[in-house]
Amino acid sequence: MNLYQPHLMRVTERIAETSDTVTLRLAFQDPSVAESFAFQAGQFAEYSVFGEGECTFCIASAPTRLPLIECSFKTVGKVTKALSRLDVGDTVGFRGPYGNHFPVDDWKGKNLVFIAGGIGLAPVRCVIDNCLDRRDEFGDVTIVYGARSVGDLVYVRELEAWAARADVRLVKTVDPGGETQDWDGEVGFVPTVLSDAAPGSDNAVAVVCGPPIMIKFTVPVLDTLGFSPDQVFTTLENRMKCGLGKCGRCNIGRVYVCKDGPVFTATALAELPPDM
Amino acid sequence: MSTPLSIKHIDSAQLEGLVAALVGAGTTVIAPARRGDARDTVGYRAVRTMAEVVLDQRPDNALKAFFLPPTDPLLHYERKGKDVTLTEVDPQIAPRVVLGALPCDVAGLPIVDRVMNWDYRDEPWFGRRDATTVIALACDKADDACFCSGVGLAPDSPQGADLLLIPTPAGFAVEVHSDKGVAFVAQHAAFFADARDATEVQAFRQRIAGLLPHAEGLDPDAARTWIEAHFMDPHWAQLALACHGCGACTMVCPTCHCFDIVDEQEGVTKGTRRRNQDYCQYGLFTLHGAGHNPRGDQGARIRQRVSHKFAIYPDRFGAILCTGCGRCSRSCAAGIDMFEVVERIAGLQATLDEEAPTGGEL
Repeated sequence: MNLYQPHLMRVTERIAETSDTVTLRLAFQDPSVAESFAFQAGQFAEYSVFGEGECTFCIASAPTRLPLIECSFKTVGKVTKALSRLDVGDTVGFRGPYGNHFPVDDWKGKNLVFIAGGIGLAPVRCVIDNCLDRRDEFGDVTIVYGARSVGDLVYVRELEAWAARADVRLVKTVDPGGETQDWDGEVGFVPTVLSDAAPGSDNAVAVVCGPPIMIKFTVPVLDTLGFSPDQVFTTLENRMKCGLGKCGRCNIGRVYVCKDGPVFTATALAELPPDM
Repeated sequence: MSTPLSIKHIDSAQLEGLVAALVGAGTTVIAPARRGDARDTVGYRAVRTMAEVVLDQRPDNALKAFFLPPTDPLLHYERKGKDVTLTEVDPQIAPRVVLGALPCDVAGLPIVDRVMNWDYRDEPWFGRRDATTVIALACDKADDACFCSGVGLAPDSPQGADLLLIPTPAGFAVEVHSDKGVAFVAQHAAFFADARDATEVQAFRQRIAGLLPHAEGLDPDAARTWIEAHFMDPHWAQLALACHGCGACTMVCPTCHCFDIVDEQEGVTKGTRRRNQDYCQYGLFTLHGAGHNPRGDQGARIRQRVSHKFAIYPDRFGAILCTGCGRCSRSCAAGIDMFEVVERIAGLQATLDEEAPTGGEL
């Protein structure tokens, strides 16, 4: 099969996360593909609507939950608009999985701190669910998640499920002014809320994903909390076409986000030229 | 310079016969030829006879169009209700022969092979590579824009060629440089004669030696060293002042291989997913859906192109992504000359090296 030939998937559920963010639950149409498909937390794929084109997102569901595959996206352009209009039964193209992954196996016995902002929860949620499905392999689990407003929070059902677990500490927050009267979480920006939550850095790793401005102010907080750059992981996205290292646009200097990433440690991130 | 596996000879009349035989057998022969346009341009195209072939002018398009076409179907789709049917594009490419190509065009093919085979094998590219026998012609057409000898190549470089023709008074010496070349000569043995006196070839080589005196001293390693340490240098913005951002340099380049993938509707329910050549000099190339652009200005885009060729590709794939063909310089409406760009950057590094303290004293 041609490298660029996608698998066909069917939309089995469409979830409107926010006014502009949608999650599609997908199933492979070919049973043999469904059976053999495997991926690891943090990998991405090329999703397509035939007649509109392809788009790059992480696989937002956990590898431990296959055959379930979900992608979540914000409606920003032609393809995401077309994807957002799809409904149950519609066909989606899928190429992947591509890229590297979070080294979850190396984290056995460690405390995990997940920090996400807005739609940045999508790739982090994949790792969270993956780790929660293997809960006894890890120590404490802390999740700090923030969005601009209550209406911008994604994965509300997961947030409820995580909040209900005794073995997960969930700190959710919205930006000042984004709260509603019945909001039961924090009010404040993610870096501040993280600083107050103060998860320990001993024997811990942190996974961070969110808008650049959040990352910029979160990394120093992690530093203050004692996290070394090797303990901090993030996932990048750049415009991509092939996902395979050939189309020539996602590189940051010598580093190809599609092949060397999308998962990077803060150490690797600091070595990247400022081409982001 | 790799040693040929064997050397043969072909007369001009026999070459004409070879082209006729190939075309007669249904093989596509691609060679430099007049387009028949008002400006009387010469470019690579399919030819029917040797009479169409122009060997004494430099084709103005890159040979890559026959391996990575400007637009190339990847698959066909048809929607029916909620279902979609995909039809694969036949990966079989009929055997083809490229004849009389410039060594700088031909040298680009194995360079681009490296990225096209990076962990994932790009079948559309390699399908065409495998189906094509490449016969290069040693070049005596150097002009001021040429600098092949500055990037480790030469006007008679066999890199990427299955056969290399070297003009002699009676026709061409034929250097065989690959197994595919051996097979081609064996298959068409009637047209090839034994090698003639080597002095004829030496005469040609003497004539082309030193045709590029300006290029010999180019130090691409120094350029790479400077590029790797000067991502944020104002030199890039300065370089971009002249640039129109038209992307012509990337279109005519034998090694530029960036592409886009788009769906093209053909009617209401059907269409084709295509790979289209794309150009890193365009702002849209890297524009994110959310509006952010990592290469938001022309300086960043020129930096990307020069860095990709002289630092990133050598680093990742062990080869300079440039064959010194000079086509980008000839095509640039703003007169940006790639040789000068690289020479200047190498010069900046040379200055730094001179200024650097050499001893242990402070």
